[in-house]
Amino acid sequence: MTRVTDETFLHEDNAALIFSSLKFRHLEVKNRLFRSNLSGMFDEYNGYGGHTRLNWEEKFARGGVGCIISSYTPVAVRGRILIRYAMIDDDDKIPFWREIAKRVHEYDCRFIMQLSHSGRQQDMGGVENMFKKAQSSTSQKDYFHGILAQAMTVTEIREVVEQFAQGARRAKEAGLDGVELHGANGYLITQFLSSGINDRTDDYGGPVENRARFVLEIVRAIRREVGPDFHLQMKINGVDHNNWLYPWKKKGNTLEDTLTICKMLLDDGKGVDAFHISSGSTFPHPRNPPGDISTQALVRWYGGMLASGVRTRFNYAIFNNPVTGRLFQWLWRWRRGKVIEGINASYAKYLRDEITKIDPSVKFLCTGGFQHAANIAGVIRDGSCDGVSIARPLIANNDLPQILRTANGPIKHKECTYCNKCLVNDLANPLGCYEVSRYDGDTFDEKWKNLITSVMSVFQPPLFR
Amino acid sequence: MNYDPPTPAERVLRRYRWLRYLVALLLLLIAVYYLVFVNQYVVAYRNNLDHFKYGSIGSEPTNGIPILVFKALAVMYRNELGPTGYRRFGMLYETEQSELPIGMSRRIVTGVERVWLNCSVCHVGTYRINLTDKPTMIYGAPSNNLRLYDLLKFFLKVAADPKFNADNLIAAIDSPAVGGHLNFIKRLIYRYIVFPRVQQALMQLSEQFAFLGSQNQDTSSGLHYGPYFDWGPGRVDTFNPYKAIQFNFPMDAKHITETELNAASNFPSIWEQHPRDGMNLHWDGNNTSVDERDLSAALGAGVTPVSVDIASIKRIRAWIWDLQPPAFPIPSAIDQSKVTRGRQLFAEYCAGCHGMKDATGQYDYDTNRFPGLGQVDALDKIGTDPGRWQSYTQNFAAAQNTLYVGYPWRFTHFHKTAGYANQPLDGIWARSPYLHNGSVPTLRDLLEPAGNRPAKWYRGSDILDTSKVGYRYDGFGSALEDLFVYDTSVPGNSNIGHDGEVYGTKLSPPDKDALVEYMKTL
Repeated sequence: MTRVTDETFLHEDNAALIFSSLKFRHLEVKNRLFRSNLSGMFDEYNGYGGHTRLNWEEKFARGGVGCIISSYTPVAVRGRILIRYAMIDDDDKIPFWREIAKRVHEYDCRFIMQLSHSGRQQDMGGVENMFKKAQSSTSQKDYFHGILAQAMTVTEIREVVEQFAQGARRAKEAGLDGVELHGANGYLITQFLSSGINDRTDDYGGPVENRARFVLEIVRAIRREVGPDFHLQMKINGVDHNNWLYPWKKKGNTLEDTLTICKMLLDDGKGVDAFHISSGSTFPHPRNPPGDISTQALVRWYGGMLASGVRTRFNYAIFNNPVTGRLFQWLWRWRRGKVIEGINASYAKYLRDEITKIDPSVKFLCTGGFQHAANIAGVIRDGSCDGVSIARPLIANNDLPQILRTANGPIKHKECTYCNKCLVNDLANPLGCYEVSRYDGDTFDEKWKNLITSVMSVFQPPLFR
Repeated sequence: MNYDPPTPAERVLRRYRWLRYLVALLLLLIAVYYLVFVNQYVVAYRNNLDHFKYGSIGSEPTNGIPILVFKALAVMYRNELGPTGYRRFGMLYETEQSELPIGMSRRIVTGVERVWLNCSVCHVGTYRINLTDKPTMIYGAPSNNLRLYDLLKFFLKVAADPKFNADNLIAAIDSPAVGGHLNFIKRLIYRYIVFPRVQQALMQLSEQFAFLGSQNQDTSSGLHYGPYFDWGPGRVDTFNPYKAIQFNFPMDAKHITETELNAASNFPSIWEQHPRDGMNLHWDGNNTSVDERDLSAALGAGVTPVSVDIASIKRIRAWIWDLQPPAFPIPSAIDQSKVTRGRQLFAEYCAGCHGMKDATGQYDYDTNRFPGLGQVDALDKIGTDPGRWQSYTQNFAAAQNTLYVGYPWRFTHFHKTAGYANQPLDGIWARSPYLHNGSVPTLRDLLEPAGNRPAKWYRGSDILDTSKVGYRYDGFGSALEDLFVYDTSVPGNSNIGHDGEVYGTKLSPPDKDALVEYMKTL
């Protein structure tokens, strides 16, 4: 590495670092670029994987990322956040995931399945869940959309732990390269971990050690099913920032709490192999995915969620009103802060520094707006993480890894703008980049036509031809 | 079995639906309450003069009466008022069709449009040169027409009149002359809310004005009141009603002398207030602050410390701050050959106390140049009628200084003085009759010794005598029943004082004529 001046490195140095392989305990990835979990309602309603998802995942493998973390994959139908997401709740889902592995591996790209359970953050539970309250650590409703919840009994907890374990077993049987527990962003595992949400008085609530019991049981159950050599990583919030929307809510976990949980999950070397650092105890959250929020898009597409919660109509009224909509947008930007790219790097650095003192073989991934080589290499170089996970910039530029080989980032008007329109459109439309300004064309109509072509490209090639 | 059960979210929403309706209803009620019962609505005038004539100063919430009642009373009491209605009391309607006279403003309070007085009711004069002329308004001049005493007496009479009942009132409101067209609900409101309130307010007014209605008689309360005389047109007893209404001072003969009780005085002009700020204002000079004087006068028009519309009064203050006095209407009637002599005499005899115009033709209010200007002359020196001076007592000044407590504009300047204050004589031609009590009809008469001044004369004309300067007092052009006889022998009406060598009453007649000619130019 040629150090030119303080904090300044040649692009070649950055690229060399980014495209060096990353060795986990039981998994090697060809570069440091991970496609973060991205879903899109592409599959069959009942959770069978669909042809479109194969196209979707293959796009990113072709684009050159070293590893793909799957779409949000429910371990049970009660744990789905949106309909039409491929699930891993039954052995009959294994063949689909086997096909995914086959497609992705052709590009020397690894594939990690994100085992997930929505808990009370069930944006559209689907008809299967229509008459059930969502499972959670608490009976308090989700404070953003007002989705109703029922605190799980110990029996239910054991059932869900087993669902995670069986999900991991199926992933392994499908030939995938590892699994990730979605323990961040407000889903069921966060609902147990977060001091801002978990109000249980039994062994699964109270001090941080108790709150972590649920996920530790999951880790041990997974190890029981998949053995010590199958890659297992944990996505976790550095800090919860649980009071972003209503300042009177509890703040949730601090960085110290998170460190305690991470230490427990090492489980004397028998636990997780890596951590994936995010932040924010809800999804979405101003810090995740960090960026803007389009009230225009919310007014257009939030409507599909109206039946889901008891605060959705109120939210819609807020979004729809010109004054309160702007206030909401202002709050969103203010709670996010100024930094977008690398927003979680400082959390990751603190945790990585502490954990690698205990076990240097544990690796760290960090998510949050990465799309420039200098920034990616910077966070790897300063010890914040060993690799980065990227979602929206990869939707904008599927070939971002190839761009990063030769340049610091995409050319100016092709960059991801962090507008989060992809996020909001996902409630109703095919997942893709909906930022018109990024597309070629002299008129709006031309740009829109190109946008539609780009978004619809996920359906190419069609199943029947 | 229910085949269409609600989802958990629907169940919760349904459970709290009544709460949401309740909150929405409460918000609606609060909004209605605020918009109807708290918020008040006034007519806003773009033009300062229109604001002065018709703008509300806040007299309506406490003392106002619904406009329909105001108009209906003129119909119900046509026998007493005659076909011209309130014009009988000298109220000025700009046109035949005008709904309200100058000096009455409207304000919607608790959903009902009410009317009551503003500044201009007492501060607009009129003049005619010939009998057939249309009266010309002089804005800011003392009213020479307003018969406030008679208006008040009319309302007191209504209060006590058995004919004044809800049936007659509603019939009058619905009559073509008023055109109220009350619907069923409004009729109920007028019958059960509006009428009882108006009646009660008028009864209360009657109690406060007991001294006015029952001269020299024993009333049911056993109180004995001293004789109280009609103020006549263009005059008001400023402070005795003030004592009764604002402070409930006892007004019976045991507590108040006949002299103190009869203190009617002329309305003042209100132009050029800026130079007057700091001078001793009011006839007896009891306050040096224009702002306090304005607010005190507003109380007289019916505002209360709570209902006063400060912004509105400030707008009027800004307008009268530099309002110019009117020029003498017939320049050809000024004998220029006498003006020079008159100016010399005015400078010698009058200017020291009253100021005069400087070489540029501007009125000079410089109190350094004219040491007596705006100062109080002791009663024994000036020698004019003591009634008005006596009516303003030490106790009353103390009570006045408690008004507007809690506001930045609380009164602090009121004080008892030794006599009457010397005023600038700008626009003096439009301010007749003269002296504080309006006891001398013309300027020329004022230059006569008291014994030669008219002892009994007709007050209330607006036909200008351009030679003697003042309104004609010989009854010319008026119906006999409309004439008000001003009798200087009545308590408070004396025309003595401002008499003697220094006041010019011993000058030769040509010199007096010259002085009058000069004063036309002020």
